[in-house]
Amino acid sequence: MKELKVEVIGVNPPCARCKKTEENARKAAMKLSSEGYKVEVAKLNITAKETIAKYGVLLSPAIAINGTVKIMGKVLDVGVIERLLRQAV
Amino acid sequence: MEKGQLARTVLMVGFVLFFILMMIRAILSAYTLTPTSTAEDLKNLPLWQIPLVYIWDYAQHGWICLGFAFTVSGLFSEFIPQSFMIRYMSSKRPISYLVATIIAPLFCVCSCTMVPIFAGLIYAGGGIGPALTFLLVAPANNLLADIVTIQVLGWQIALADMVAAGVSAVAIGYLVARTPWGKRFEQQFKTSKPQTASLNLIKQPIDERLWNALKFGGFLAKRIVPPFLIGLVAVSYFQAFFPSDLVRTYMTGAFGVILAALLGGPLYTPTLIEVALGKALVDLGMSPGATVAWLMGQPYDIPNSLSTYRIVGWKIVATYGVLAFICAVLSGMTYSLLVGGL
Repeated sequence: MKELKVEVIGVNPPCARCKKTEENARKAAMKLSSEGYKVEVAKLNITAKETIAKYGVLLSPAIAINGTVKIMGKVLDVGVIERLLRQAV
Repeated sequence: MEKGQLARTVLMVGFVLFFILMMIRAILSAYTLTPTSTAEDLKNLPLWQIPLVYIWDYAQHGWICLGFAFTVSGLFSEFIPQSFMIRYMSSKRPISYLVATIIAPLFCVCSCTMVPIFAGLIYAGGGIGPALTFLLVAPANNLLADIVTIQVLGWQIALADMVAAGVSAVAIGYLVARTPWGKRFEQQFKTSKPQTASLNLIKQPIDERLWNALKFGGFLAKRIVPPFLIGLVAVSYFQAFFPSDLVRTYMTGAFGVILAALLGGPLYTPTLIEVALGKALVDLGMSPGATVAWLMGQPYDIPNSLSTYRIVGWKIVATYGVLAFICAVLSGMTYSLLVGGL
């Protein structure tokens, strides 16, 4: 069984686009979880020093899968995130 | 390309082309995209009708311009290569100032994108100079604001505003980075090494990218249009009843430039409302120099300063606030001298 760690990186308190991204990421994660994958979704603050030390300068909102930023500065549909997750498995 | 994907692409390209062609047609036929109501027209209407007539007037002329602005902003934010831009902006070379001034504002139309980049550049050790330049120039020179300013206030004032905002932002960034407290602040982040290794962006097919662009344009419209409408209600009463003598006396000449720079800043208004209010003031007699100073006030408004204060502290905010005010006055004066209105 494969494990996936999804990090949604956005501003805190969340702006509308960051919120939507997290929502979509959680929906996509749920879909994969129901198929037996182990998916963990976390929220990171984009302006926190630790986040910047880890990923550098990003555009919000961004999604990192297993420690690699896959997309930034745009809100993806659930289907697209799901495809990203499947590619990462 | 499969069939459904092709159909989607064609449909969306058609949508984009529609606004571009309408805009070109409007420019070629010198069709005005701003309201034509004067104070005289508005004053004689019943009180409740004033905003309705004014907004209808705006909507009739402005939908092409706004539709075009939102569509193009969406396209730019989607298709400008992001990692390229960030790499150059966080380099220590002078080019970072150039990228911060010219390219970055093209796609940054939303404050929730701007502050993270500002914080990111600083914490990643990119230097406070380019970061500040970026922060100051992005709200003033973003694509949406530029298109609307050109249409509402004319290209001369828009161009003066863009150049003045760009030059001032570079000057302010450069100067703040050289103050003792600016240097001390930068020193804190010298040791941190920026990480770019964990960045591996995916490529999306063209129909998904176009969809991203249009979605972002729609998001901007949803966020900007409602406050814009409320702002227009206020502007309509302002245009109808504000005594034009007052504007003619106090918003012209050297004093007018200083007053406009003072009012344009702390008075927080989203860029589009600032432009609409500027238009009302111009109609009531504000001088061109004062208009430029008024538009330049944007970067040091209160909410913007508050969010940067949390990152850089009050000393740096106060420094750039004072510098931005001086720059606004200088730009207004220079423009007045150029067009001979001081």
